Amino acid sequence: MPVVGAPVVEAIDLRRTYKTSTGSLKRKSLEVEAVRGVSFAIEKGELFGLLGPNGAGKTTTIKMLITLLIPTSGTARVLGLDVVKDARAVRSQIGYVFGGDRGLYERLSGLDNLRYFAELYGVEPHEQKRRIGELLEMVGLTGREKERVEGYSKGMRQRLHIARGLLHDPPVVFLDEPTIGVDPVGAREMRAMIASLTDQGKTVLLTTHYMFEADALCDRIAVIARGEVVAQGTPGALKSLVADKTVVEIEVYGVNDESIERLRRVEGVSAVSVEERDQLQLLMVQSAVGAEITPALLAQFDGAKIGRVVAREPTLEDAYISLVEGDS
Amino acid sequence: MRSQGRAEVPAHRVILANWLFSMKSLTKSSFFVLVTVLQPLIFSTIAFFMFKSGGRPGSLLYAALGAGLMGIWSSTLFGSGGLIQWERFQGTLELLIASPSQFMWILVGSTLATSTLGLYSVAGTLLWGAVAFDIPLELAHPALFVLALPATVIGLGTLGLVLASTFVLYRHANALSNLLEYPVWLVTGLLVPVSLLPGWAAPLGWILSPTWGIKAIRYSALGGNPVPALLATVGLSVAYLVIGTRFIAYFERRAREDATLALT
Amino acid sequence: MTAGTAVLGAPRSSSLTSFFRVLFVGGIIVYRALFNWIRPAIYIPTMLGSPLFQILFFANLGKYSGVGDTNFFVVGNAVQVCSMSAIYGATMTLANERYFGTLAQLLATPANRAALFLGRTLPVIANGLLVSVFGFIVGALFLDFSMPASQIPALALVVTLTVVSCTGFGMMLGSIGIRARDVFFASNLAYFLMLLMCGVNIPIDSLPGWMQAISKALPLTHGIAAARLLASGETLGSVAGLIRTELLIGATYGFLAFALFRYFEASSRKYASLDRF
Repeated sequence: MPVVGAPVVEAIDLRRTYKTSTGSLKRKSLEVEAVRGVSFAIEKGELFGLLGPNGAGKTTTIKMLITLLIPTSGTARVLGLDVVKDARAVRSQIGYVFGGDRGLYERLSGLDNLRYFAELYGVEPHEQKRRIGELLEMVGLTGREKERVEGYSKGMRQRLHIARGLLHDPPVVFLDEPTIGVDPVGAREMRAMIASLTDQGKTVLLTTHYMFEADALCDRIAVIARGEVVAQGTPGALKSLVADKTVVEIEVYGVNDESIERLRRVEGVSAVSVEERDQLQLLMVQSAVGAEITPALLAQFDGAKIGRVVAREPTLEDAYISLVEGDS
Repeated sequence: MRSQGRAEVPAHRVILANWLFSMKSLTKSSFFVLVTVLQPLIFSTIAFFMFKSGGRPGSLLYAALGAGLMGIWSSTLFGSGGLIQWERFQGTLELLIASPSQFMWILVGSTLATSTLGLYSVAGTLLWGAVAFDIPLELAHPALFVLALPATVIGLGTLGLVLASTFVLYRHANALSNLLEYPVWLVTGLLVPVSLLPGWAAPLGWILSPTWGIKAIRYSALGGNPVPALLATVGLSVAYLVIGTRFIAYFERRAREDATLALT
Repeated sequence: MTAGTAVLGAPRSSSLTSFFRVLFVGGIIVYRALFNWIRPAIYIPTMLGSPLFQILFFANLGKYSGVGDTNFFVVGNAVQVCSMSAIYGATMTLANERYFGTLAQLLATPANRAALFLGRTLPVIANGLLVSVFGFIVGALFLDFSMPASQIPALALVVTLTVVSCTGFGMMLGSIGIRARDVFFASNLAYFLMLLMCGVNIPIDSLPGWMQAISKALPLTHGIAAARLLASGETLGSVAGLIRTELLIGATYGFLAFALFRYFEASSRKYASLDRF
């Protein structure tokens, strides 16, 4: 039974290792630590973001919380229920939605998909019709529900996924990269839908690697990198981690790895990230020094053509980059 | 605030929902129409012509019933054999396991659906026999025939459960299904008496439900005592159910604990 | 002027080698990539296991129903199982292009279409022959199939030509598969109908007239008849007519297949129907 005031979702030192084997003749057993001691707590009605690059351990963490993976060590509770011991009770209290276009029965209609999962979640027959109608309305699929899913667009599939995850009106919802592959307009609608979940009193855990999405939606964010939580707090608090820094953006035509290494070693530089553009690379250099570092930075390129150079205030993305890059 | 769902969805509800859903889903697949309708019609036609031109004494109804049951086996084999792989391929496997319904009851419903659709084969071959080959459907024990059919469907559906759960370990389940179609037709004596085969074939057939299902159906249609075969079918179903659910529980545990059997 | 000639000459000679490169190398690589049953874990159960049990099944059914001697069923089924490759394999090598979404890239290449097309048939034919040979071995090992050893070369020739003809038919289904959505349905159906109509298990003259008419227009029918005669000791000369008919039927389907392939290529550019599902 949930205790009043206790966190709705609680992860305490969660760890998960995978055993894999490599080599075809001499098989070597390898242990990969995907999640290395993750802890956080989500309060009722909060929209909590788990932010991190691919392979950081986001999905493994979420799978432990939704009972699909048993933690190697550590504990996790949802509404006070243990995800290992009370797995079935946890499952009935949570909704799970993942991004991408898989996870639906293609040959059947959207309505069939929803009815089926309503049965699997034990939604009472007299409730089903009303609930499905409400959800179709909410995700904007009313009128399209009798069409086969194979004809749906990516955005429609994703909205159907959301409806499916909410069929049993779960108090806790887990969204694993729900906007992946959805076009910008569709993604904006999706974000509005996600924001409305907390208005209904639901507690939401969202994983994403889009910074602006986390910034726009989340009450609090945990940044996860290499299986560990490297920072936790409100978007504002995370931004303040880099508030004293300056970001110098440099466009370079054909930068080499050596130059980037040299940039990292320039005194005062705390993080460097590279974004590939069409013909050029956009380097973002964070430093505590301010714009006056710029000449020292520009001296590190051996002859590569340099385009626009701008110094600016840091954003949440810079905070994220500095956290993810920080202790590598 | 509590969810509207139930912590423990009753088994009969899960089985029923999955049975209906899977039948609906399978009938939308053209491959299934081929396996459950066209293939049995073609095979029964081959058998009718062979029995006629070979001057085989005895009833063509024997061949029609055998071909019908061959269809139930094909339907179960192709429907159940790759079931878990198919759900995984579609990305629905982890959604099923994440639901509060027990995965084993989900699979029981789905595998029963695959054998139930095999009834199209029985109906099809009997009807085709009557229309094109003047084979009258005269039943020796109509009441027992009506009992033998669902018993056979359950016998094969639960065998499908064992297939679904063991084929998980084999990456190319469809290839295994391709392999196992003819041999089971042979060793269970659906069209050819097992006595024509080498001695080791018969004991293999004894542990397979189609052997007893076809006996129950044939004796109740053509005369004889179908009751022992009927009981054997039911007994095997129970055994399959126990074995199948154990395997599935094991699969689920391996998937969640060591992540050696991937859900995605 | 010599330089000019050389420049003109180079593409000429290389176009001939490239024809053969596309024909052989391209064909085999494509086969490995598209024919996803090539892995032993799939190949053995599907291409060898399934034919093995098919032959055993029909030979026993034949014994029970009293239709003919074992040789009748061994020859009929051993020749027919080549369509495991000639029907399914051929369909896959073309239709899977669309399934994997690689067709657009293929059609963007300047490769000679005839070479591209024929190249795909070579591994299909080789594999079909292998499956048939395996079928005869099964018959000899498990079913007391026997025939005069002196007849083996002639039988091998007839089986090879039948496989070629059957592949022509398979390629036609494959070409249709470039456009049609569910062509494997058709290839499955074709495989089963061959068991019924091509004299594989039922003597053609026991079939109703309309089925006999269809069987005469299908590949396999004449090839199987020729193979049976050879196995029972007849000379190659006496089956020459059957072989010619079999080849003519196969060539007709093969030509149709290539024409359809070209037609779909042209029309897909016109109507942008390439990747439409």
